[in-house]
Amino acid sequence: MHTPAGAPPSRRRFLALAAGGAASGAAALSGCALQVSSGVSGPGETVTLMVKPEDISPEQIKQAQKDIGVKIVTVKHDITKLIAMLTSGNPPDLVRGVGAVDAPFFAARDVAEELDPYFAKSSVLKVDDLDPVNDLWRYDGRTQGKGPRYGMAKDFSQDSMYWYNTTHFDEAGIDYPPETEPVTYEQWLESAKRLTQRKNGQTIVFGGSYNGLYEVTNLSGLTAAAGGTLFNDDFTRVDFTAPEARKALGWYIEYGRTRVGPSIIQPDPNTWDGPTYQAGRIAMSNSGYWLGGLINADEKLAKVSRLAPAPMFEGGRRVSSCQGGTGMWMPRKARNKDAAWRVFEWFFGEAPAKERAGGGWGIPSLKSLRPLMPAEKDYQRQVLKVQEAELEHFSVISFSPYITGDGFKALFNQVAPAAMKGEISVDTLARRLNSIINEQLARGKEQVG
Amino acid sequence: MTVEQISTVADRAKEATASGRAPADGRPRTSMTTRRHRAFYMFTSPWIIGFLLLTIVPMVYALWLSFTTYDGISPHWRFIGLDNYSELLADPVTWDSLGRTGLFAVTSVPLSIIAGLGLAVLVNRPLKARGLFRTLLYLPAVVPPVGAGIAFKMMFDQNSGAANGVLNIFGIDALGWLADPYARYVLLMTVLWGAGNIMIISLAGLQDVPRELHEAATIDGASAWRTFRSITVPLLSPVLLFQTVTGVIASVQTIMPLLLAAEATTAGVTAIPQSNYMYMMHVFAEYFALGRYGYASALLWVLFVLILIVTGLIFRFTSGVVFYNVDPEAKK
Repeated sequence: MHTPAGAPPSRRRFLALAAGGAASGAAALSGCALQVSSGVSGPGETVTLMVKPEDISPEQIKQAQKDIGVKIVTVKHDITKLIAMLTSGNPPDLVRGVGAVDAPFFAARDVAEELDPYFAKSSVLKVDDLDPVNDLWRYDGRTQGKGPRYGMAKDFSQDSMYWYNTTHFDEAGIDYPPETEPVTYEQWLESAKRLTQRKNGQTIVFGGSYNGLYEVTNLSGLTAAAGGTLFNDDFTRVDFTAPEARKALGWYIEYGRTRVGPSIIQPDPNTWDGPTYQAGRIAMSNSGYWLGGLINADEKLAKVSRLAPAPMFEGGRRVSSCQGGTGMWMPRKARNKDAAWRVFEWFFGEAPAKERAGGGWGIPSLKSLRPLMPAEKDYQRQVLKVQEAELEHFSVISFSPYITGDGFKALFNQVAPAAMKGEISVDTLARRLNSIINEQLARGKEQVG
Repeated sequence: MTVEQISTVADRAKEATASGRAPADGRPRTSMTTRRHRAFYMFTSPWIIGFLLLTIVPMVYALWLSFTTYDGISPHWRFIGLDNYSELLADPVTWDSLGRTGLFAVTSVPLSIIAGLGLAVLVNRPLKARGLFRTLLYLPAVVPPVGAGIAFKMMFDQNSGAANGVLNIFGIDALGWLADPYARYVLLMTVLWGAGNIMIISLAGLQDVPRELHEAATIDGASAWRTFRSITVPLLSPVLLFQTVTGVIASVQTIMPLLLAAEATTAGVTAIPQSNYMYMMHVFAEYFALGRYGYASALLWVLFVLILIVTGLIFRFTSGVVFYNVDPEAKK
């Protein structure tokens, strides 16, 4: 139908044109989904990294161009944006991920590339040089820790260990924890109560902080330390009413109820232990070796700080897992896989990896880089000695591919505060957690197939 | 060109269009009406395209999602009809969060309007440095929400915040402001903190009230309260209705202060105190922490329909009390 020249466009025609424009705009917008936030120009191939700003510095990006001739552009890590990019078939070439919770999730959904062929060819990242923590990035279609590799940790810690400030122990007249033998969780909580200092309704010093990286990794670790497992064999269900899981849950709720440290009902305004510990307001901080990066930067604090082994339950077993294993993975639909792998090798095995190893912000994920860990000062040697002894107790605690760490946390947050405030019993909480988490696991199982 | 000349040109153009005659040079000429239509559509098209692209398309997409189990990434999603809607009706978290949101709306909207109107009345009086007061009272409204959120979080922290510092001076033990049961009051304070916006709109309305009406009331011996109740409020009623409607819509969608008060992770935001777990937090958790795009979209559509109903009810119940200062004959 032609509109006579000069005739006014009808509303219908105008709206049709507008809708057409909107549709074109939508298509254009989806093409713009990849928004590059920084990068360097120059010859060679381009690799897109979806990372957090602290993962790679602008200097390192420039260095990559010099070292390997690859231009790196970065996109700020955002799970919603990542899903949009994966859905539109335009993913980044490498993506930041937390091995402990992300690896099975993405691998099970078939969006992550198997990296075994790349490792097999690599002269930089040799499989026999990989620390066992990298097994967090393995998934065999059922169990985390076995099967093909989908990523690699940049560094790691055994996150159930804890740092303590000797000043507070001295003030409270409590003996320092042993360097190589674990205290029990019951003893840890008892010490935390004695170390807590309160005045006028305010907590001046938190006796101890024990929240782990994620609720699920923390509770899985606690359950393992009690001698059980949180998930069933095929990771489709949790059972908090099982004796070991019930013991772990009961301990964590008691930790929250006694308010000896930050928790969901008593949040730390800093949102993490670092600044609060630095200010001398936490006596024991459940942070692994990586917190040493912050502690070492302040010699005064470093001299009164010690690292202690992960506690265990009375009658349980000694286990010290990594709750993070943060690193990177390669999407299956990455456009520039070979160049991405070159960046992967450089980031995990060359200059940036060496720089991280010397910084004390985690144990290197390559065994060959361990000699670079800081050991010049006495306090650094004490920390290293405790850490090296703890490595013997490392194990991978498998996580379910049918729920995310965030999903577990959100559900936990819905019901746990009532138990921490004493409004419901731990048994009631255990039953409620079973109900809502198993429901989410069932949905995840159906969608993964 | 005089008015008469313009009228003549317009009349000729009308005549030419009506008779179907082309102008002398043979080219079709566009009439004034056509050009006005075009200008109208050209000026409004950016908004209309934006509205279609950024509102209608996402809404239709969300409606489609609400009938699925889609999570954005998993391979085996499926259509489930109205299952998400029936699930949300049986979900206690939905009802609890909706109840809290309703309570928050009926508390925060009247309080904000009363505070904003009160401030407007104050700064409408002939005070010294009135401009300075107006600026100072409006300033909090221009503070970016992120800054205000962080400031409130620091101010009300139990262990190091200024609020408890003040209580301690008076020998009162510190309160856990950011936890239950006090967190709801802090949220209310963050909302009232932005009452400057309402003040500015109310002030504009107050300045539109004819002075002679107040003078006549004063001569008749009416008290200040009576004048305010019988003259100022009725004349301000369209402004108050506008503020009520936009306030209710904004309050049921409250999420920003809640996000700012929480740990900045996808799931961390669900750790906010139960009393502040509003409907939009439920939506946020279902979308981003649990990846339930379908269910969360159903929640949003229900909220959209509820907002439409509530807005309709507000208009219906206020139609007899809102005074529009226009000539009824002018509408005809």
